Amino acid sequence: MDIEIARKQLFDRILNGDRQGAVSLLDQWAERRHWRNTITELLEPVLDEIGRCWSAEKISLAAGYLAGRIAEDILLKAAGAEEAVPVSKGPVVIGNVEDDYHSLGRKLVGIFLRTAGWRVVDLGNDVLAGDFVDAAVASAAPVIGVSAMMLTTAENIRKVREELDRRGLSGRIKLAVGGAVFRIRPELVAEVGGDGTVASAVDAPRLMAELTGGGIWA
Amino acid sequence: MTSFERVLGALAGTPQPRPPFTLTLSLFGARLTGCPLQEYYRRPDRYAEGQAAVVDLCGPDILFAPFALSLEAEAFGSDLIFLPDYPPNVRKPSVRSADGFIALPLPDVDSHPSLAYLRESVRLLAAEHAGRIPVCAIVTASVDLPAMVMGIDQWLETLLSDPDLASRTLEHAERHFVALANALLDDGASFIALPIMFSNPQVLFPRMITEVILPALARSFSQVRGPIVFHHGGNPMLPLLREYLGLPNVAGYAVDHRDSLGDARRLLGSDRLLLGNLSGPTLSRMPIDSALETVDRILEDCRDDRRFIFATSGADIPISTPPELLRAVAGRIASFPGSP
Repeated sequence: MDIEIARKQLFDRILNGDRQGAVSLLDQWAERRHWRNTITELLEPVLDEIGRCWSAEKISLAAGYLAGRIAEDILLKAAGAEEAVPVSKGPVVIGNVEDDYHSLGRKLVGIFLRTAGWRVVDLGNDVLAGDFVDAAVASAAPVIGVSAMMLTTAENIRKVREELDRRGLSGRIKLAVGGAVFRIRPELVAEVGGDGTVASAVDAPRLMAELTGGGIWA
Repeated sequence: MTSFERVLGALAGTPQPRPPFTLTLSLFGARLTGCPLQEYYRRPDRYAEGQAAVVDLCGPDILFAPFALSLEAEAFGSDLIFLPDYPPNVRKPSVRSADGFIALPLPDVDSHPSLAYLRESVRLLAAEHAGRIPVCAIVTASVDLPAMVMGIDQWLETLLSDPDLASRTLEHAERHFVALANALLDDGASFIALPIMFSNPQVLFPRMITEVILPALARSFSQVRGPIVFHHGGNPMLPLLREYLGLPNVAGYAVDHRDSLGDARRLLGSDRLLLGNLSGPTLSRMPIDSALETVDRILEDCRDDRRFIFATSGADIPISTPPELLRAVAGRIASFPGSP
């Protein structure tokens, strides 16, 4: 099958909620081309397209979620076949800010970063500002990615910026922010001290690359 | 003519001296009375005072019971967070799986404090404004409740991966929805409104909406002993509006500010109530002139529509919105000639 046709089929299956069909297509491709090639030549371009559509609000939240779960399945299969995606970038520290338990966006960001070869330190939900910075220092991460779904919890991101300032790390460690509230109120990114954001989790690798000046780190 | 008669007139499609209107000022009553929100969303008497102040400010034709869906999640054990300028929100879901949700006992609509607050607020509003202003109670749709109690990711995962478990989850949520909706109607609510997220193609696959979500809504709506307003839930509603028309007991459809009212009317036909579509959440950042321009455009678009109720779309109007802007909006609608 031609690669362009395969990409179109994969895209359509994800958009139609056909998880089994999408995974089956990727499995078939991997039989011929191995997992690593399947990820780079088939899965990643489709994820890029899904990211563009998601940012433009042309696809559903469910499609974005499904794309993430499929990517996660494929990463596990690749790792099982000893063809894991080489970890060549990062690390980045991610987590939901203090008092925020809405983990969907953060989990998807982690999946899409790993798919693109980033090492991810995921701190989970309800992470205190000091814990974000401690983890970034301990892992030598140049970026902290903080997720908040609501305005009420997004305000807590200021504490991460203040902690970076207090330790003299602003500029050396960048602060990426994301979550539903930033789509509704883009001006909030600067207000809480963020260095950047993207409209969808699929675009997280691009943001991290921009914030790290190209993304090749470790 | 009372507000009640005006709204009934819109339902019947009879000519109106002026179009009926409402603004989503559930939260705003707290500003008008200077009531701290932790008190406002816990004490029905303080809520009713706030709504009386809303009536004094702008005289809407429909009053809202508390727009605080998170209180239902609290009744299922979720933690809430209160902040100075917003309705309470879910801080932490109470369970992290559909099995966990199904295992939760249904909260007693007669005795659980969070639900008792909602019910007593409706009773007070209905008693105070009886026969003059209809009261709308706002309830979480059965298809959205699991997301509030277990988290959006867990509910999506269940819907996408385990149809049988999703079905049992919906049945559990439906029992709560029907009990609460009917209790609020018994308490004096004239109708109930449901902002519905999981029926929207921005959230879920259209096939899943038609095969799973709409049948679940139909089941629950058919058990409600009163009229329902289907609210867009924060996303444009027109892409699947036609699919929603078969749902039982739905008297009206409240569309998003990005939806075309003309297209909505064409899809709805002439017999159904249409509500909208001034963006409520962005009013606080709009200069009065541009807000009034938008009001004028909406009124002109619906000049000949006898079954149109001017309303704000989206969530509550922010507490920081200048009261004089709201008064100006209400005044502009009140001075507009009604449908022929």
